[in-house]
Amino acid sequence: MLGCAILATASFAFTARAQQTPPTDLVFKNATVMTASHGTIEHGSVWVHAGKIAAVGATVDAPASATVVDATGLWLTPGIIDPHSHSALDGDVNEATSPVTPSMHMIDAFDNRDKALYQALAGGVTTELLLHGSANMIGGQAVVIKNKFGLDRDAMIFPNAPGSIKFASGENPKRVYGSRDQLPSTRMGNFEVMRMAFEDAKAYMGTWDAYNAKVAKGDKDAVAPKRDLKLEALADVLRGKLYVQIHCYRADEFLTEEAIAKEYGYKIRAFHHALEMYKVADKIAADQTAIATFTDWWGFKDEAWDAIPWNAVMSMRKGVKVALKSDSNDHIRRLNQEAGKMIHYGGASEDEAIRMVTLNPAWIIGVDDKTGSIDVGKDADLVLWNHDPLSTYARAQKVYIDGDLFFDASLPGLGTTHFTGVMHDAGGFGSDDEEDGQ
Amino acid sequence: MKKFLLITLLLVSVPAWLAAADAPKKVIAISGGRLLTVSHGTIENGVLLIADGKITAVGEADKVSIPAGAEIVDAHGLTVYPGLIDPESNFGLTEVSADQNSNDLAEPSDEIMPHMHVADAFHAETELIPVARLNGITNAVVAPATSDTIAGQDIFIQLYGVDRDQMILGRDVALAMNYGADQRRRGGRGGKTEYPSTRMGLITQLRQTFLDVQDYQARRDAAAKKDDKAFKRDLKLEALIPYLKGERPVVIGVYEAYDVEVIMGLANEFHLKVILNHVTHSQEILDKIAAYKVPVIIGSIYDFPSANERYDAVFTLPAELAKRGVKIAISSADAGGPASSHSARNLPYAAGFAVAYGLPYDEALKAITLNVAEMFGFGDKLGSLDVGKWANIVLSNGDPLDVRTDVKQVYIQGVAVPMVSRQTKLRDEYSK
Repeated sequence: MLGCAILATASFAFTARAQQTPPTDLVFKNATVMTASHGTIEHGSVWVHAGKIAAVGATVDAPASATVVDATGLWLTPGIIDPHSHSALDGDVNEATSPVTPSMHMIDAFDNRDKALYQALAGGVTTELLLHGSANMIGGQAVVIKNKFGLDRDAMIFPNAPGSIKFASGENPKRVYGSRDQLPSTRMGNFEVMRMAFEDAKAYMGTWDAYNAKVAKGDKDAVAPKRDLKLEALADVLRGKLYVQIHCYRADEFLTEEAIAKEYGYKIRAFHHALEMYKVADKIAADQTAIATFTDWWGFKDEAWDAIPWNAVMSMRKGVKVALKSDSNDHIRRLNQEAGKMIHYGGASEDEAIRMVTLNPAWIIGVDDKTGSIDVGKDADLVLWNHDPLSTYARAQKVYIDGDLFFDASLPGLGTTHFTGVMHDAGGFGSDDEEDGQ
Repeated sequence: MKKFLLITLLLVSVPAWLAAADAPKKVIAISGGRLLTVSHGTIENGVLLIADGKITAVGEADKVSIPAGAEIVDAHGLTVYPGLIDPESNFGLTEVSADQNSNDLAEPSDEIMPHMHVADAFHAETELIPVARLNGITNAVVAPATSDTIAGQDIFIQLYGVDRDQMILGRDVALAMNYGADQRRRGGRGGKTEYPSTRMGLITQLRQTFLDVQDYQARRDAAAKKDDKAFKRDLKLEALIPYLKGERPVVIGVYEAYDVEVIMGLANEFHLKVILNHVTHSQEILDKIAAYKVPVIIGSIYDFPSANERYDAVFTLPAELAKRGVKIAISSADAGGPASSHSARNLPYAAGFAVAYGLPYDEALKAITLNVAEMFGFGDKLGSLDVGKWANIVLSNGDPLDVRTDVKQVYIQGVAVPMVSRQTKLRDEYSK
């Protein structure tokens, strides 16, 4: 159901701007450049050429024709990356009719005109991993977007980003199916549902392997097995073709999930929420699984009872790669502040804090070679802030994606540069626990 | 094993530090800090004296003499400010949000529930209180959830004490009212639609209730005059009498501009002493709100703008109201309405965010200290660093409104509160 869609009046004024192409060369001068990968450069410059970062340093050799942005008194960071969002899906985050639905594709539900995207953009968010909810043990395949609000759907899909698949565990699946007296109603049931699904997938792969072997031997009578989208998706997990992103809260469940992953031969890219990671961080660090966690949410349900705000920094100190995420249309608008809290809760350095909302989430999504830091060759996904972005006081002034300006707070009206027309309003808060398919 | 140790630790340690809640007799001198007085500016190198739980001196270091034998707290490099006060919380009414057994948030059986006393449900030993206290929250208004038009009566608490009697500073300090779409009995409670299912119904029901109270009051007074022993008290109607007399404030939670106009019409008809709450979608009537000359609690500053509304339409609301001379408070409520006080520790950041969007810094600090105290009748006891006030004081390593700042010590009525919560214990246990 779409909520109220209200006609835009203010935004029509920017129709002309939407036709403009971004400058080939763009230079930010005299900014406090927080690179996320190699420290902060005071009074630094960044040269953007054809949408990519061409140079970064105290000075850069940009051509004289470059458009200059005087960033005196401003901070420049990589675009904020949210590795756990349910925005812009109109609540279609759980096909909660079966606990294993790996062939559901988030991209099919993506609504590129949702107001939550705009509000996130104004908070400096340039990339989001749009994930399934947590009703199902295996929910489906995620989509990675660049927050080019105002462009069409296809133009907002992150090019060549690897695929991710969302798993869940714990209270949500067992509640959703348990309330219907179905399997799974317990954590025992949860994990066995996964194992059974992977056994199905292994048999399916075996059927195809046998067929392919016949074809390879020149058997012209070999009959291809029927394709099964669900089992194909699970086979892709077992073949390591999808990044596995798991909604998981409790320490014991991280260990069970890692054991099942080893049993079936796949890797877990990240645990999401991961509120008890501080209890077993050394073990999970050894498995090279990252976490995407809340900073200070707790007590909203039993499995969040042992959450502590020091979790992120404690886990990081034990070697776990840590990202902060929103799981919320609210907090996505100020993830920079969530990073700032890590200085308070555990004494993260500024570099460590900013990495938790840029480079580390980029790694979780698998796009850290393309975005997430201010390094030569990367996409020019950049945010100019009027204040230290790790403080309470920072407002995003300008947000660039691939070198193109998508948000400018100094403009009247919405501050958007490409958006015209009508925003959609899916309503709600956009969190896992809200969209649990009940 | 670790869990077992932890439980043992809790059992042993809690009585020990709760016993410390008696105000110490000796003088405490907080010396050398940056004092944010709230009432009379900033003192860069200040001294603050505490005795018998109260502030006995505040001033520049060279103008306040520290009595011999005082316990000196070195506050050089620290910022010293009054304890923060959350104008809307559900401390003691919830523990685990999803666990209904731990929730006493609102009575859903009727819309008009003024005889529900938060004091009767307040669980003083909740784990939420120490968690919030560690970030400098020392006092709060505790209100029922917002599902009823008249949800019950609030308490005003301090976040430390041996038991609920010590922590509840004021019972029935305000009436919690709510008005708007959420209070309609439309498809709620088991899917039933029943009266009042529209705004018309809500308002008519309220008006009839207030008339019933006036009628009841007349009959009660007459019965008292006749010493009529057979007169049966009606607790529901009786609960509303002080509010209809304007003796105590009525906090009205309302979001949309047109809802504000309607409910203020009714409130003025019955001369209620109003504090407006939420008002996050009333941008088009800000001048009118100022003209009502009532204080306003803004919460949540993080509420979502409507589609095609500018992204900062709600962020700028505290600044816009303060600019019009409205006395404002800011609550810790989360986006989408008052949520759980699990996140009450983020109260100062909401005020800081209002500063980012134009609210003068001093106004922001007032909005979570002195203004709240004044709205709820504690302005002479709390909310600023002034002589004679209760010594609810916070020492931090920097700007109280900044997310990076760490609170070092909290005093409540002069007691240095142990900087411990269930969460610090888990942290320390797993840091070994």
